[in-house]
Order: sequence, then C-alpha cells, then structure tokens
Amino acid sequence: MTAVQRRAFQTIVLVVPALVAFVELQHFWLPTFDRPAIIALDDLLPGSAFAVAGLIAWSRRPRNPVGVLMICIGFGLLIGIPGLRGGSSPLADTLDLVFGGGWTLVLFVIGFLWAVALLHLLLVFPGGLFVSRLDRALVGLLYLAVPLGGLIPAFVTFNSFQGTTGIDAYYNAAGLSAATAFVVYGLCLVLGSGLIIRRWVLAGPARRRSMSPVMWSLIPIWLAFMPSQLLPIVANGPIATLWQQFVAASPLFLVVLPAGFLIAMLRSDYAMSSVGDLVVKLSAGLLPEQLQPALAKTLRDPSLEVVYWLPTLGWFADLDGKPVSLPAADSLRAVTVLGDPANPVAALVYDSSLRQEAHLVNTAAAAVRLVLENARLQVQLRAQLDEVQQSRARLVEAADSERRRVERDLHDGAQQQLVTLLLSLQLAKTEALQRSDPNTALMLDGSIESLRQALGELRTLARGLHPTILAEAGLVPAIRSLAERCPIRVEVIGELDRIEPRLETALYFVVAEAITNAVKHSRGQRICVELRRRSGWATVDVSDDGVGGADRSRGSGLVGLSDRVAAVGGRLNVQSNQLHGTSLHAEVPCA
Amino acid sequence: VPERVLIVDDHKGFRQLARRLAEEVGFDVVGEAATAADALLEERRLRPDIVLLDIQLPDLDGFAVASALSSVSAAPIVVLVSTRDASDYGPRIHRCGAIGFITKAELSSASLAALLRG
Repeated sequence: MTAVQRRAFQTIVLVVPALVAFVELQHFWLPTFDRPAIIALDDLLPGSAFAVAGLIAWSRRPRNPVGVLMICIGFGLLIGIPGLRGGSSPLADTLDLVFGGGWTLVLFVIGFLWAVALLHLLLVFPGGLFVSRLDRALVGLLYLAVPLGGLIPAFVTFNSFQGTTGIDAYYNAAGLSAATAFVVYGLCLVLGSGLIIRRWVLAGPARRRSMSPVMWSLIPIWLAFMPSQLLPIVANGPIATLWQQFVAASPLFLVVLPAGFLIAMLRSDYAMSSVGDLVVKLSAGLLPEQLQPALAKTLRDPSLEVVYWLPTLGWFADLDGKPVSLPAADSLRAVTVLGDPANPVAALVYDSSLRQEAHLVNTAAAAVRLVLENARLQVQLRAQLDEVQQSRARLVEAADSERRRVERDLHDGAQQQLVTLLLSLQLAKTEALQRSDPNTALMLDGSIESLRQALGELRTLARGLHPTILAEAGLVPAIRSLAERCPIRVEVIGELDRIEPRLETALYFVVAEAITNAVKHSRGQRICVELRRRSGWATVDVSDDGVGGADRSRGSGLVGLSDRVAAVGGRLNVQSNQLHGTSLHAEVPCA
Repeated sequence: VPERVLIVDDHKGFRQLARRLAEEVGFDVVGEAATAADALLEERRLRPDIVLLDIQLPDLDGFAVASALSSVSAAPIVVLVSTRDASDYGPRIHRCGAIGFITKAELSSASLAALLRG
C-alpha cells in the first residue's frame, strides 16, 4: 500500500464515524426524537473508540491485521448497536429514507458480526495470525453462520428486504427477540474468554505481559454480561439498583477494550524504545558480563541467556566458557542464532513466548552485535584458558604417575637384584674367610663396597623420582625424612593433615627443591620449613638464613616449581635478598 | 632349642639367601612364604618364634601382615625388611607391631643376631 493510499484509507476511517456521529447527533438534537443523551453516547463511543484505536494500531503496524480488524469492529459497533435497541436506529432511518427500506435488518446483522470480529481479534492478538486450526475454523464458522442465521429467515418471511421497515416487525415474524442478540454476544464472549483464559494459563511470562492490558480490559465486560440473570438471587435493594445501572451502561465498557488493545500495542512500542535505551547503554560502553542482563531487561525476559559460539572448540559456551547445549526447537525455550548460520557468533536462548516479537529480538540482537563479538573473544579466551589449565594439570599428573611407575620398577627390579647380589657376595666373602683365602675376601670386599655405593645412589635416584614415604605417610613425615638427610639443619614446624595426593606431591617438590637450592647456593646455617592449613588453603614456607640471590627469572628450577604449583591451582612467591636470605611461600587450595 | 623362623618375601633369591644367613647364626628356618595370604596361613600352621617380613608383597603390604600377626595369641616376633630405607616409610614401621627393621643391603648374620638377641 502506498503512502497516498494509506492516507486515503485513514481519511475514510475517520470520516465514517464522523458521518455516523453527525447523523446520530442530528436525531438527538431534533425535537421529533426523544432520546436520552446516554443512549447517543452508548451508540457512538465504543465504535469510535475501536475505530480510532484501530487506526493508531494500523499505522504503527501496517502489516499486522490487528489494526484493520479493530477498525472493522469499530464500524460494526457504530452501525450495529443502535439496531440492538429494538427500535429503529437514526442511521437506519436515514438510510431507509435515502436508499429505500430494509436497512434496519442489514444493520442488525452487522450488529452480530462485530461480536464475531471481536472474538477473531481476541484469538489473533497480538501476532495477527490464528494460533491453531481450531480457532480459525471456529471464527470462520461464526462469520458464515451469523449472517445466514439472521438473513435467511428474513428472506423466507418477506421475500425481500423491502417492507421490513421496523426491527420489531422482523423480530415478530422470524420468531426472534432481542434476547437472541444477547445469546449470540454471550456465546462469542464465553467462547472467546474461555480460549483466551486458556492461552493465558499456558503462556510464559513475556507473553502474559503482552496480553495483560487486554485481560484487564475484559474484566468489566465479563462483569456486565455474566451476572445479570443471577442478580435477583444474589442481591436486591440499593446494590441491585447500582448493579442494574452498571449493566445498563455495559456498551460503554466496550470503550475500555480498544484501550486495552492499544496499550498492549504501545507497550510493544515501548519495548522497541527500550532497544533505544540499550543502544544508549552500548554507546556508554557495555562490558560483556553486562550484556545478558541488559538484553534480558530490553526483551523483558529474565530467563534470557546469551551463549557464544566457539569456532576453535566447536561448541556453544556461557560467559565463563563452560559448554552449553542449545535447547530443542520445539521446547518451551526459543533460540535465535546470530550471525552467519554456518559460522555463528552467538545465540540467544529465551522464553518461547518471545517468538511473537521476533522483530524486537532481532533488533536488540543487531544492536549488541559488536559487544557480542568482543564478548565471544573473551569467552573463547576463558574456555581456552580453562582447557589449557586442565591439560597442564593432566600433564603434571601424567608425569607424576610416570615417575611413580619408574620408582616402583627400579625398586622391584634393579634394586632387588642388586641387593640379592650384595648379600651373595657377602656370603661368598664369609666362605672365603672360612677357607682362609684373604685375597679373595679382599677382592670381594671391594666389590661389596662399590655395590653398596651403587645401591645408595640408586636409592637416592628413586627417592628423587618419587618418595615412597609421601604416599605412605603424608607430607609432614616426608619432609621430616628429607630434613634428616639434609647436610645442614632443617627445622620443620607446624602440622598438616593428609590432603589430596596431587597437592601433597606439588608441595613436597617445592620444599625438596627449596632445600636443595638452599644447600647448594645460600651458604646459610639453617633452613626452616613451616606447614599450615587455613581457610581452604594448605601453605608451606621455606626460609633460610643465607645470602639470597634466588631469582625466578634465572634458572629453570623455580619456574618449574611455579608451574607445578599453578597446575594444581596454587601460587608460589619467592623473596630473596642479602639481608634476610631466601624465603619461599607456596599455597594450594584444598577443600 | 634354636628359635624357629618363617621368611616372607616374594623374591625366591632373597628367601634363599636370608635362609642361609639365618641358619648360619643358628636359627631354624621352618618355612617360607611369597605372599601375605601364605604368610598368615604358614604362621598358623608352623607357629614360628620369628617372622622375617618383607614390606613390599604382591597382595597386602608388610605393615598389614605385621598388625595381623601381632594380634594372634602367642604372637611371633616380627622383623621387617625392605630394599628401601626406614626413612622411606616413616612412623608406620613403629606402629605396626614389628620389633625392628633391617634394610636388605644391611642384612647379615651379625645384624640379624644383634636385632633379635640384643
């Protein structure tokens, strides 16, 4: 539709109620018609309200049939309501005067149709399309049945519209009464209310929010229609009188309904304007972790999640880099993948009721595209860091278990064989002495001594690979055993219960390396090892009274230790100077 | 009457050497066992005075066997042996009910006699 056509249509929509109003008010002012002002208002207000609200809705959402539907309801009301009053309406009288008789009946039928159109509107709001085939079939059937049911008896009775100048004559001839209109309205209202309440019950939070103005505006209409038959039973006296006045004004309540629809529509506009707020926030700088709350607020869905596609890892992840699987398409969650589907940037996961507002979702997503890219990089970095940390921990663990295996193999194989050999040589030496062969005994003595040294070196090597005592008795005995073998004095202070083997191993090697370094380089007299456990951390402090000079940047020993501690999530800190010697602090997290 | 000895170790070569060393200083070696399970059975059958017990066994470790042996009536004296040093094991050596520990490399008629009789 071009702009000119739209302008023309808008003009027509405004002119028709104005014309009808003009006709109505002519009759109101003319002395020949004695009609109370309230009835003129009844006739004019609801229809005009629907027409105007429909016009606004239609101009805001040209492609959504809701606006046009509301305009049609408005026209129907303007034309139909006077017909329901049982007498001839000013409009029908005027039309009869200009075009000939029968218009009362036509207007009467239209008066039924607007109720069907209202049911139609309730069922398609806010998307404009029928949600289920049942809804579509029901509305279609009513659109057909209502005019047929109204017009066919008229044809049968009168053979033409001519001559049916008064609605009362038609009623009598067709055996109908004004109560029939009430029944049709009631039927549409009950059906429509039932279906819409069912939808309300099934709806998610975002959908409910969009429906709520309409739901509120329906309440006075339910009140006006429902209890009029029950009234004598439940109330009498002044309350009953008040109630009757309320029911009498019921057409006026129809004004509330288009207002409800319009508010629901404008709230959606408000949502679009909240995308504007989002853009303002973006220009002020939005951190990746603020993105999800901001989008959730903009789209009014607290359950909204932003997940990021990680091309190097091949999965979606949350902001912490943890893998996330997208929900199935038919579940209560809906997904919008952002960017090229073959190589997406991110995806929004939200309540399925937001599907109705795909435009809003896409607009908001487009606004945050740049921040999403940044956030994705951050997430990817986190996920990769996580992967690296895990693989580092696995590497250290694999290396440790390999060292344990080599130590055990040495012990079970070479050491065992050499010990047996040593004992045999000793027996041979005893026998040589018994046979008075001192030369052989002396030779054997030399061999025994070399073998003993070799065994000692092998034991030191095995212990350095992985000390048995660490697994057997824990960190403190292992360090005490280390201290006993140390050539300078080592004081071991504090206690530490058994902790995870990987943590014990990490701390053990820190202490062992620190002691070795102190012995080699510090020229100190004593070393102090202190073990502690406090608030989820196991700590060791190794200090010496030497000349300092330990430097993390020189020599791979400290760097290796630092890596080892970091692999179990811990920290290593070294301080070294000439005055206070070297002190080393390591801490690892333990539950 | 010479004291009766049971030797427990999974290495046959070591068992033979240990038997010769023990017999040299006048012990009566009444049996040998290669596993912890065998050790417990043989102890019940032979009722030795002394058990020479390796710490590294294929089923249970020597500490567990020593604890089990120390709880029987008329418990034998248990001496632990290992290729490793005492400092490799820590306090468990003193808590398991054994009276002493000899590193295999230091095993000799003299050290055995000193530990058992001294």
